[in-house]
Amino acid sequence: MIVFSLCFLLVSSPESVLSQMLSASSQALALSAELCGVYVVWLGILELVEASGLSQKLAKLLHPVIKKIFNLKDQQTEELIAMNISANMLGLGNASTPLAIKAMKRMDSGSPVASPAMIMLIVINASSIQLLPTTVIGLRQAAGSTCAADIILPTLITTICTTLLAIVLGKLCQKIFKRRFK
Amino acid sequence: MSLYILPLLFLFIFVYSHFKKVSTYDTFIQGAKKSIPLVIDIFPYIAAIMIAVALLRSSGITALLAQWSSPVFNFLGIPSQLIELVLLRPFTGSGSYALLSDVLALYGPDSYISRCACVILGCSETIFYVTTIYMSQTKVKKLLYAIPVALICSTIGSILACLLCRIM
Repeated sequence: MIVFSLCFLLVSSPESVLSQMLSASSQALALSAELCGVYVVWLGILELVEASGLSQKLAKLLHPVIKKIFNLKDQQTEELIAMNISANMLGLGNASTPLAIKAMKRMDSGSPVASPAMIMLIVINASSIQLLPTTVIGLRQAAGSTCAADIILPTLITTICTTLLAIVLGKLCQKIFKRRFK
Repeated sequence: MSLYILPLLFLFIFVYSHFKKVSTYDTFIQGAKKSIPLVIDIFPYIAAIMIAVALLRSSGITALLAQWSSPVFNFLGIPSQLIELVLLRPFTGSGSYALLSDVLALYGPDSYISRCACVILGCSETIFYVTTIYMSQTKVKKLLYAIPVALICSTIGSILACLLCRIM
């Protein structure tokens, strides 16, 4: 990507290359400072959510649903997945990743082909069921929006739709592949 | 209604933590402490992506790309100004935040395009990155239909996001 653009620029305007790169990097520094402010607020609040046991509560609520979707025999893996998804819903990305890795490890049978439950975990995580798009709201506020939170509702509707679609498509593909291999 | 969601949520979290006998101040500090290392971690990625995008833009490649693909994006109802964002999103999280802040500055945070960009980012995930990390400790090599299904869902999410921003 960079090589391509450099070749292009060599022909069109070689004098602007360095100035473009430098102004981009100082913009990146400004953005990082903004992000830092956003993270202070949200990471502080999210720490409270974790410490007060709210995230475990949500995981408990999700457990029956997870049982239906994943169809696993292993109780502990189900719990890990429930905690992973609830952490994702709250925007606790750093807390959710190790949980998912652990769950994947427990589901790993040593075969090179992913099991349906593993794929379901990927697909659900990829469609991201975020209840609060924390960073996006923060950046929008920092840019001077008059009502930064008014994207919550459309985001929520979209994310619920895509997650449902992911589950349905995942189940559908599971059936198609099963038939093909039998 | 959206106006009250966040303040009420914050109030609820603080009151609930207080009832659970969590020391709110210390816990908040513990969480806030993590922000600086996190930003230091992602800063080089943000800088690299922003430099690459700046070069791409000034070389005129993105303009060409946008011109070619705009019929497709128009058909899907996604503003052609968001082409970079939609294409980059599955690969890099910090990079897409860099692009988002660009869009916010360029078109104003309350414009239709910015709202679309916010909703698209809010409801999508860095598919390739997440998948690599999740599978890193297993022996799985074949993911069958996982990636296509994830990409289809996020594309439909982007279309729906632009649609909802128009009516809401």
